Amino acid sequence: MTNVARTGQTLLIVASSMLFAAFTSAMVVRRATGTDWIAPSVPVWLWAAALLAIAASCLVAKKFYRSAALCGFALVASQIACAASLRMGDVAQSFAAVLVTAHAAHALFGACALWWKGERASLFWHFAGALWLYVLWLIGVWA
Amino acid sequence: MTIFSTDHKVIGKQYIGLSLFAVLIGMALSLAMRYHLVHPDAKVRLFQMLWPDGAPGGQMTPELYLSLMTMHGTIMVFFVLTTAPQSGFGNYFLPLQIGAHDMAFPVLNMLSFWTTTLSFLVLMAAFVVEGGAPLSGWTAYPPLSALGKIAGPGQGLGQDLWVLSIALFCVASLMAAINFIATIIELRAPGVGYFDMPLTAWAWFVTALISLFAFAVLLAGGILLLLDRMAGTSFFIPGGLVVSDQIQARSGGSPILFQHLFWFFGHPEVYIAILPGMGVISTVLSVFSGKKVFGYRAMAYAMLAIGGLGFLVWGHHMFISGMSPYSSVAFSVLTLAIGVPSAIKTFNWIATLWGGRIRFKAAMLYALGFVSLFITGGVTGLVLGQPGLDLYFHDTYFVVAHFHLIMGVAAIFAIFAALHYWFPLLYGRFLNETLGKIHFYGTFVGVYAVFVPLHFAGIAGNPRRYPDFKEYEFLKSLMPLHVGVTHAAYSLAAIQLLFLFNYFWSQRKGKLADKNPWGAATREWNHD
Amino acid sequence: MQLAILIAALAGATVLLFVQPEWWLPEAISAHAKNYDSHLLLTLWVIGVLFVIAQALLAVTVFRFRDRGQQASAVEGNHTLELIWTTATAVIFIGLAIAGQGIWAGVHLRSSTDALKIEVLAKQFAWSYRYAGPDGAFARTDVKAIDDAGGNPFGVVGGDDIIAPILRVPAGRPVELLLKSRDVIHNFFVRELRIKQDVVPGMTIPLRFTADKPGTYEVPCSELCGLGHHQMRGTLVVMPPEEFDAWLREGAVR
Repeated sequence: MTNVARTGQTLLIVASSMLFAAFTSAMVVRRATGTDWIAPSVPVWLWAAALLAIAASCLVAKKFYRSAALCGFALVASQIACAASLRMGDVAQSFAAVLVTAHAAHALFGACALWWKGERASLFWHFAGALWLYVLWLIGVWA
Repeated sequence: MTIFSTDHKVIGKQYIGLSLFAVLIGMALSLAMRYHLVHPDAKVRLFQMLWPDGAPGGQMTPELYLSLMTMHGTIMVFFVLTTAPQSGFGNYFLPLQIGAHDMAFPVLNMLSFWTTTLSFLVLMAAFVVEGGAPLSGWTAYPPLSALGKIAGPGQGLGQDLWVLSIALFCVASLMAAINFIATIIELRAPGVGYFDMPLTAWAWFVTALISLFAFAVLLAGGILLLLDRMAGTSFFIPGGLVVSDQIQARSGGSPILFQHLFWFFGHPEVYIAILPGMGVISTVLSVFSGKKVFGYRAMAYAMLAIGGLGFLVWGHHMFISGMSPYSSVAFSVLTLAIGVPSAIKTFNWIATLWGGRIRFKAAMLYALGFVSLFITGGVTGLVLGQPGLDLYFHDTYFVVAHFHLIMGVAAIFAIFAALHYWFPLLYGRFLNETLGKIHFYGTFVGVYAVFVPLHFAGIAGNPRRYPDFKEYEFLKSLMPLHVGVTHAAYSLAAIQLLFLFNYFWSQRKGKLADKNPWGAATREWNHD
Repeated sequence: MQLAILIAALAGATVLLFVQPEWWLPEAISAHAKNYDSHLLLTLWVIGVLFVIAQALLAVTVFRFRDRGQQASAVEGNHTLELIWTTATAVIFIGLAIAGQGIWAGVHLRSSTDALKIEVLAKQFAWSYRYAGPDGAFARTDVKAIDDAGGNPFGVVGGDDIIAPILRVPAGRPVELLLKSRDVIHNFFVRELRIKQDVVPGMTIPLRFTADKPGTYEVPCSELCGLGHHQMRGTLVVMPPEEFDAWLREGAVR
């Protein structure tokens, strides 16, 4: 990977982190100020989706980029299914839907990049995987 | 020259062209507003032709005035002040100044420009959809901006398009920021260290860093606001609201949360608008006084300090918002602290001139005008940065005068300076000097005549965002002041036609320029 | 040359405008407002001096170093000088910030327990006020009971509250407003009291003042609240205390 590509990806990761940091702080403030917070129940298979992210990262490490991308697409499919099942009228669930959908956009981008660009997209994919674990922790444990 | 060019020079010019188009619309809107403020009952056929629903019989409605105000602010902040100084001049000159062959990601660069253009078109579409443009201001505070059509005409589809436009603009700005930073980090020519870069390059660098952090947060705020509008969520809408006699089925949202997200972006945005201008001014002052920039390193550090501190002061927009009064104390100290690097820059500019040999070319006149305006607009920040004093001045014309001088007009003067200075590189010809000087003097006097009196409207307590001043006793005595300001605004706008003529005429008929006509030392003039 | 004169002239005109009496602050009718004015004056003096020094320095520099064929000097910096002006501005700026905290604290950080509590309700585009009746407590409210035409914008259920379209307060006694909004953000502003506070739906925000001078004052809504924003005009009447007490008793009987 060239230095330019690595730097560009790092900066993209910074921007994405900032987006999720903003969502997180909004969630923290909203939970503290409102009186209507009900802990969301995260579907069990969403945790299975974490395994897909980890599996994809392992495949990337072994240089099986297209197989990794397929895992990535499966992850995106499960995320969309999950987001569609959430109720937007409930505040905790609506935050979960926002975070899952925003992550799905990242995962879709990352998986496509893995499919076509292979190794050059690996850094971003590892980030997307770690980000998914963070999102799961946020909506599944913290919330 | 292809439309979807990936050449940084073409893209730079495209951005400048987009800004020029946007600034003309923004200025026309401000004239319509100033006219209406002093002739609130006038029937104007032009208004009726442009906005049949907003001005029935030519009589401008309050909602039309507020939508013009919203669009004026949005266009000027995003598509002029954020677009021209950074993406316009930066794209064209940054690679040349650091010896790069192009930006790091040329295709991404093209995509950022076209996303910005798309964002602009989406915003303009708000004018023609049912209900017209939104009326909740460029800050779009919920619940007003979140409730939909029930909160007023323009709050339906018009406001949807506004939020969508801003979200697109955020994405475009993030792509541009990544490109700028990667270019500076990776593509500096051998031998060009960070502290060998001209201050313009430093300014674009710091601005891109600010954009990277700020626009991601605005994007988050925009997405949440859009969901409150379209998906029935309650991020910013509290429970138990009764709007137009209808009970709203939402619960628990926090309107102040949006303000935090917005101003976490919104204050750094001020520096996104002004830092590139500061870079240009440093360069122009140095070239036309025949001296090196005084305290080059201090200037670079001051910009980094402004960029960093800029993220810690957003609360000064919210002193009276209902947030914790204790946090106001912290925000105010930090806010006045950010005045220090700004003062350092002013002193360093004057010290740059001191002992020099000042050539009064048009570009130099705009740069000197910038320094004067920066002082005038800057000192009032010491009033508004104190929460105690903000208890009276918040949302009055004093604020309007302050931010127009320091963020709007000063940045525009920097754009004029940059255009006169770099025109030979952009088009191989000079802008006409005589026309440039006449335009400078007219504009310089004009902006003082428009914006200094507005401080006094603010001191008298005149609230901003009022479509007319008929309802209040105390506002009636201010009418002579507003009439004067409106007339000054007409003259100021008229003299801009001179610049417009000069800009297009000189591209074809201007005096041909030699290589490096100003005797500058930076790379963009000295490469082949 | 011309530019130096112009900068001096524009700066001079700006300063002159600040000493004209026509457009200025309205009368101050509370102790806080008087403190406010003196701190504002101090701040204006400080920034006025800074403004004049900086503009004069710019004009003089432009005049003195205009191109007369002289050699430009080769100075690139002067650490002592830079250190001096950095420290000086830092001391002045931060000093102002600290000196101004008193007026902020007076409104928002100190509370008095004996204040007369009045609930203020803002809605598009009108103000309503509620006083506790003889029982000394505010009655329960319910959004379903809201009836604007019937004079019940708060949705009060039972109780003996007094609801009024004009804000009446006794002169010389501390008052605590409890600001509430029913729809969007509004802003309660009384120029003569030098106080301004957003009224945010979903929150109850306290605002304290003691008005000393009886009279009638305008309350302009100062946060954009929709197409009738500029017509959302409230009225504050400061009454002699005994008149106020009589008015409140009368209201309770009705």
